[in-house]
Amino acid sequence: MHPQGRYRTPLLLVLTLLLVFTVLSLSLKRSPALRKVQGLVVAMTAPGLEGLSYVGRSAKQLWLDYFYLIGVRRQNADLQRQLEEYKQREVHFQEAEQALTRLETLLDLKRQVALPVIGARVIAYDPTLWSRSAIINQGKAQGVKEGLPVLAPQGIVGRIVGVYPEYSKVMLIVDRKSSADAMVQRTRIRGMLKGKGGNRCSLEFVPKSADVQVGDLVLASGLAGLYPKGLVFGKVTAANKKNPGVFQEIEVSPNVDLSTLEEVLVVKVATLAFPEP
Amino acid sequence: MIAPLIAFSLLGLIVFYVQNLVFFPYVHLRLLALLVFYVGLRPSLALALALGLVLGCLQDSYATTPFGVHLGASLGLVAMARFFRRGLLLQQLGFQALASLVALVLQEVYLQFATFMLGYQPLFSHDLTTMHAMEILGTAALGPLMHLLVQGVEFSLRRLGWRPRSEPMPYQPFGE
Repeated sequence: MHPQGRYRTPLLLVLTLLLVFTVLSLSLKRSPALRKVQGLVVAMTAPGLEGLSYVGRSAKQLWLDYFYLIGVRRQNADLQRQLEEYKQREVHFQEAEQALTRLETLLDLKRQVALPVIGARVIAYDPTLWSRSAIINQGKAQGVKEGLPVLAPQGIVGRIVGVYPEYSKVMLIVDRKSSADAMVQRTRIRGMLKGKGGNRCSLEFVPKSADVQVGDLVLASGLAGLYPKGLVFGKVTAANKKNPGVFQEIEVSPNVDLSTLEEVLVVKVATLAFPEP
Repeated sequence: MIAPLIAFSLLGLIVFYVQNLVFFPYVHLRLLALLVFYVGLRPSLALALALGLVLGCLQDSYATTPFGVHLGASLGLVAMARFFRRGLLLQQLGFQALASLVALVLQEVYLQFATFMLGYQPLFSHDLTTMHAMEILGTAALGPLMHLLVQGVEFSLRRLGWRPRSEPMPYQPFGE
């Protein structure tokens, strides 16, 4: 074998191991250089995802609003006739609906005034099973900072763990690294809500003597200032007291469907508290 | 090496986009790992290493695991591909798929160990074992398709005039 070729494989092996360990140790020290690399990769690849996602949505809209409707024209005429019959009965329902819409708008406005938020669109997810994160289209330029909570209308989504110039990375509450102080709404029992990967969380450190039942709502306790107090994490889907140890095994299912997020709100101030429901 | 690196990186990016926009959250497959493995079976080691770096960085940038975990896994896949390439004659697609299955299982072991060492999760947590197993089996089953895809990219590059350095120039008779 050529002397150069003889040393090539061990040399490459050593260099590769050196590279991996250097990158991992820099990552654990939260090196700004690595953050820049991550930011650069996201900045280069996310616009493509954003564009394709927009094209996909537009195509779907076109299909639903036009092509899909061609075949239902005749059916529509029949329905129009039926609609005329029901129109009179509909009037008072419409009145009630309009009142509801007005009240909802007022409630939304009240919330917006209570918490300064930034609206953002989810443009990408980490498709692997190793972590649960999403990329949103608001970044440092729009005032997003690390640690800020991210919400959806149904409850808490997660928090910002990486901020790039035009994008941010959100760690979802089901990510294995995610943990937050939480409480059961009905009994005010507190515990630590930890992500379990997939689409599940667990409420940990709840003693077996505590009263927790399936269906109980789990809320943010507001401690540690991670998430505003009173916002919903999810519902208890299983509570097991037969396991060994002093704590219960409580499984929590997030209130928000974290795999199909579209629009979210980034709360600018994490420590503001909601009034308890 | 630049032209194939760009071509395979673009292919990886397209695969990543498809996974993100079409498959997620219903289908979980390690298509990028498979791509790195099959490129690792090709003659050029430098290309495989560079592609491993690019796609590892891409995956690490979107994940919440420490930066370097997926990078290490990608380079590990290249190492395994080279080992299989040297030790076994991987001419048949079935053997290639089997080798990719072994490589994906070893990658899983590495990822479990690395995330455990970095305090990200308990060692071999049983929560998602079935999903991981299904993901690996499904990915390995797509091996022949990935082989064709990699060959297709190489074929397209050759049609555009690219030729590996190790390969001799095509014969050209005198006087032409």
